[in-house]
Amino acid sequence: MSNHANTPETFADKVRSIPGGEHLEMCYACGTCVSKCMIQQKVEQEYNPRRLIRMVMMGMEEEAYENPTTWLCSACDLCYPACPQQIHISGVIGAVKDLAVEKGYTSPLETVSVNETLCSGCGICVMVCPYEAPHLIEKVVNGVNDRFSEVDINKCMGCGICVASCPTGAIARDGVSNPDIMKQIPRSVTKTDAPSMMVFICDWCLRADDDLAILESYPENIKTIHIPCSGRIDPQLALLSLRSGISGVLVCGCQPGECHYQRGTDVADCKMSILDRMFGQMDLADGRVRFVQIGTQDRGRIRKEIDQMLEHLTSLQEVC
Amino acid sequence: MADKPKIAFYWAASCGGCEITITELGMRLIDLGEAVDIVFWPCAMDFKYDDVRALDDKEIDICFFNGAIRNEENEEIAHLLRKKSKVMVAFGACAHVGGIPGLANLADTEDIIQRVYVTTPSLDETRGTLPQINHEVPEGSIHIPEMYDHVKTLAQVTEVDYFMPGCPPVVEQVWTVLQIVLAGQLPEVGSTIGVDGKTNCDVCPRQKGRSGLRIKEFKRPHEVELDPEVCFLAQGIICCGPVTRAGCGLPCLSGNMPCRGCYGPSEGVIDQGAKLLSAVAALIDTDDPAELQKIMDTIVDPVGTFYRFSLADSILSELKHKKA
Repeated sequence: MSNHANTPETFADKVRSIPGGEHLEMCYACGTCVSKCMIQQKVEQEYNPRRLIRMVMMGMEEEAYENPTTWLCSACDLCYPACPQQIHISGVIGAVKDLAVEKGYTSPLETVSVNETLCSGCGICVMVCPYEAPHLIEKVVNGVNDRFSEVDINKCMGCGICVASCPTGAIARDGVSNPDIMKQIPRSVTKTDAPSMMVFICDWCLRADDDLAILESYPENIKTIHIPCSGRIDPQLALLSLRSGISGVLVCGCQPGECHYQRGTDVADCKMSILDRMFGQMDLADGRVRFVQIGTQDRGRIRKEIDQMLEHLTSLQEVC
Repeated sequence: MADKPKIAFYWAASCGGCEITITELGMRLIDLGEAVDIVFWPCAMDFKYDDVRALDDKEIDICFFNGAIRNEENEEIAHLLRKKSKVMVAFGACAHVGGIPGLANLADTEDIIQRVYVTTPSLDETRGTLPQINHEVPEGSIHIPEMYDHVKTLAQVTEVDYFMPGCPPVVEQVWTVLQIVLAGQLPEVGSTIGVDGKTNCDVCPRQKGRSGLRIKEFKRPHEVELDPEVCFLAQGIICCGPVTRAGCGLPCLSGNMPCRGCYGPSEGVIDQGAKLLSAVAALIDTDDPAELQKIMDTIVDPVGTFYRFSLADSILSELKHKKA
């Protein structure tokens, strides 16, 4: 239809021509994708993939580029299996974003940046990023050819998986660097009869306000540190918490397949499982460090997890 | 003679490699001998502990102390040398971060004694001969230093002015540091000396990993043919280069072996093993929990791999020590 020689290329044609955008016209605007979307629920009520697809079909190019939907989609693909038309919606949104970047639009998200004085050019951030945002560049500094990481901010979704994996702390974003998080860990905790706990919680794994309210309902000895993704956990942070005298560390992430940043929960699982194995090797395996994956269906489970761990920590204290 | 700086070398729980690195100075030892007055070097020269005790406090200008603190003798001499020295250098990986002896913190002292003196296959286990701290013989009583239940770094028992890492510190770095000492140009107290820039990755010429290159199986160096041009981590071989301070000149990497981390944690790293785990675990490539488990199982001996040299200096060791 639109390939007809006399018809000018429409915005929809442009989107369709980008890999991922080809299934555009299959959408019949049922809105199932919107109901599945975590961004719509947690960040931006106006967030609406259905509306974005309509905009594309109606040729509302500038509006689509400026729409937060274009930039906030992290391709978690929770909507994908739910779509009755089997449209890969994040693919369509990604195509719109590519066109927006071509037009000179930039991401409004909080993204990471690289401190070149610290960067050693090891390339780990390049390998771990779910979005291929960092890449290595070579340039001459003080007469020496050196290698650094550089981040394409239009690809970065701010998950912090690279921040946790960066050995030198060169890659960071405000509030999410190790020194920023360490400020929230007390230097030392006075030992009391009641066990204390540090809960590192992924910003996405609790959906409902009443779940978040559960975290607030605990006394001061149960501290919560919010991280953008469980993949942002650095085992050093768990160890520092224990060193300060906190009795136990609970890290909460999303269920596999539901991670907002695709692979963060798997990365966290790997880090925490190996940390747990190391505790075992040191004859320290007493369940003081735990990782749990909370699914979208697990409403209220956070209370059970915290209470269970507290009970366990209390029994450990009694033994001592 | 009186104007020459007085230098002491000592070995505590170590293998002797740090001593060898000093002898590797070769003909430069003659220059050193002319420039300084060596007042204590049990490995190479005939001195007794009483010679050190006889010195005035702070009479030694600089003491290079290698080896971890494993028993009461190590600690006693550490305190003695600290008292007699103006400047104390933790020399080599063992004094710096515990080194290989620090891996003993994986086991209990009792288990170690049993293994070494009873259950080792080449021993006659029926004899059950175990070392005794105090033993009476016709000539009198013998006391051997008590082995601690925990290996410590030098800084965990006494004040250390400078840290010089390496297993052993490479000879060129030793020579450079000696020149700095002789010139009286030591940096700020607390500094790590005899090192370069950032991390080993910063100076490693290998081709780095690319976007999306992740690991389905971790392998140990003897299990695969290693590409000498490509980053070890990108080949699924755990390499400590990302978290290890540069300065060794990459002898292991040049020999197509991954970095084992002997130069200790680089700037900004709090716990070398945990930070390396944070980097390595993020490389796994799967979204299937069962496969994830399988990939993780390919990391054999995580403590020994991630903390090969720095276990005694780790938070893990500290937690274990606290528990005990």
